[in-house]
Amino acid sequence: MADSKDFTAGIDSNAKKSPRRIVFITRRTSAQVKTDSEDQVQTFPEVLFRAAVAIMTLAVALVWISLLFNAPLEGLADPSHTPNPAKAPWYFLGLQEMLHYFPPVVAGVLVPGLVVFALIVIPYFKVNIEADGLFLKDRQKRLRIFYLIASGLSLFLLFFKVYAALVPTLIVAGVMLLAAQSSPQSSSALRRYLAARPLSYWVMTWFLFELVVLTAIGTFFRGPGWSWVWPWQGS
Amino acid sequence: MAITKTIDQYFDDLRSTRVWRSVFRSGTGSSTLHRALAIQQNVFLHLFSTKVRTRMLGFSATWYLGTLTLGTFLILVATGIPLMFYYHPSAPQAYADTKDLQFVVSSGLFLRNLHRWSAHAMVFLVFAHMFKVFYRGAYRTPREFNWVIGIVLLLITLLLSYTGYLLPWDQLAYWAITVGSNIASAVPVMGNKIHFMLLGGNAVNANALLRFYVLHCMILPLTAMFFVAIHFWRIRKDGGLYSHASEPATLRTNAAISDSTATEAQ
Amino acid sequence: MPDETKPASSDNAVDRRKFFAKLGLGSLTIAAAGTAAFAYQFLEPNVLYEPSPVVNAGKPDRYPLDSVTLDVNSGIYIIHSQEGYFSLSAVCTHLGCLTAWKPELNLIACPCHGSKFERDGKKIEGPAPRPLPWKRIWLNDDGDLLVDRSTDVPPLQRDSFVRV
Repeated sequence: MADSKDFTAGIDSNAKKSPRRIVFITRRTSAQVKTDSEDQVQTFPEVLFRAAVAIMTLAVALVWISLLFNAPLEGLADPSHTPNPAKAPWYFLGLQEMLHYFPPVVAGVLVPGLVVFALIVIPYFKVNIEADGLFLKDRQKRLRIFYLIASGLSLFLLFFKVYAALVPTLIVAGVMLLAAQSSPQSSSALRRYLAARPLSYWVMTWFLFELVVLTAIGTFFRGPGWSWVWPWQGS
Repeated sequence: MAITKTIDQYFDDLRSTRVWRSVFRSGTGSSTLHRALAIQQNVFLHLFSTKVRTRMLGFSATWYLGTLTLGTFLILVATGIPLMFYYHPSAPQAYADTKDLQFVVSSGLFLRNLHRWSAHAMVFLVFAHMFKVFYRGAYRTPREFNWVIGIVLLLITLLLSYTGYLLPWDQLAYWAITVGSNIASAVPVMGNKIHFMLLGGNAVNANALLRFYVLHCMILPLTAMFFVAIHFWRIRKDGGLYSHASEPATLRTNAAISDSTATEAQ
Repeated sequence: MPDETKPASSDNAVDRRKFFAKLGLGSLTIAAAGTAAFAYQFLEPNVLYEPSPVVNAGKPDRYPLDSVTLDVNSGIYIIHSQEGYFSLSAVCTHLGCLTAWKPELNLIACPCHGSKFERDGKKIEGPAPRPLPWKRIWLNDDGDLLVDRSTDVPPLQRDSFVRV
């Protein structure tokens, strides 16, 4: 096209009856290749051998552990005698710790249900697709919302004396405040890194932190009657 | 040296027989074609594509956590099936069988240990895999559905672990499941019904053991394999493992392009 | 010709790769053989929860002279003949059905495929390949007859009878 004018595209009133396909090639663009052609390698052997080595290393480690440590086996199941404490498998101990504070409907149904639901919908929220730092846009407004939610959650946990969940919340809130005071031009690499973290990162990190802390408490710090014990003081 | 040459020759002769070639049709060889055919013509392996982008092979991207999770699953199936040979899912015989496996059956203690530690490892690895996928952003478009499949697999893994926990029928098992199923009865409206159906009764007894056994050995593993197949297929169809630099240029600079085309359309 | 100028190093390169390949495949073979051996040992049970093959048949005077008595639970005949007491397996040697004593016909008959045996175990007719085996019988300290179903004794020999 020799004409250097840009075109305006309009809709013909008879567009449905006589559709035409027209290509507009404007001055400032050109046909672009949409995907890069990158280096590629054969699945076999590259992928399969790496997978085989990874799985074999895992198998060797697990076999070694199995030869050294025995799986636990207690006495025969006795419905008339409940052991004290009666603990769930380790991955449910976080849940069991929460059952200590909240009724089963909340700790056993509501919270896990909400957690699963929240995990499932993560990729469908636009805020999780954007990769901008949380406090780099609308800083004041977002800081206000942050203060509201963080203090509301902390007071709620304080009211129910859920110190196990309160401490990680306060720590994460503290780090988020540090991120709010940072920017991509901050002096330290840590502050630059924190400034660039989006909301999804903070929520997930809070969740991971809570999961680890609650599970650790349920595993090591709870003894008979679900009372607090210090693990280094043998019973 | 002479003996090893003969072994090589023997294998080469074997591979050129009609019987061998009727089974392995693409033949052996190190050419690119042969390697592609080895994937594409294999009913199990053709879930993979024949080529992958080099950038996705690196350890630091994924720490191979997905592969390791699959590895633990395979170990669990390989140890679980032999354990089924000596286990009767009836109370209290199940406990006696577990003791037999530990003390009387050859390799029984090793198999039981490996099964137990691999189960713990799998739960840990599946959580680690989920967090790693999240933190590198591999859940974003077009991979959202695969993330959901992954959450489903996480739940199946937890259920597999939970149902397996009851099977030794010891104090640990009995009371852990009693507590867990009582949580199920806390569901509003349907809680008691769910509790009743889950256990096949009002308490953890012989019916519960049998139901958990069927769930653990048949229903949940088949469901898991079904979803694992979908999970792997989606990885391929969504463009392979996620690596930010590997994404098409348009997705990476989406915002920029939408701005520029907006002005140009005037 | 590149091959001719460096024959030694190209040989070495091939040898090293082949060496490691053989090492890998060799150890894989050894591991597989070991696994097979352990798997076989695993599948053979070390402990059986089956009843003992030794059966207590009670006092000898329960069995009158010339009587043939079948114990269905243990699958043996106790027979009191002129020479003494002896025991036959009641399991048909054809395909394992439980035979029955027919006093009106004076023979042991199998209901499954029509094999018939005399009261000393010898086969009269039918698809059974062997006669009914004689089982070891003896008296214990209490004077009870004991039969070991896992031990065969030669038929009609002196020591295959118990004399009271």
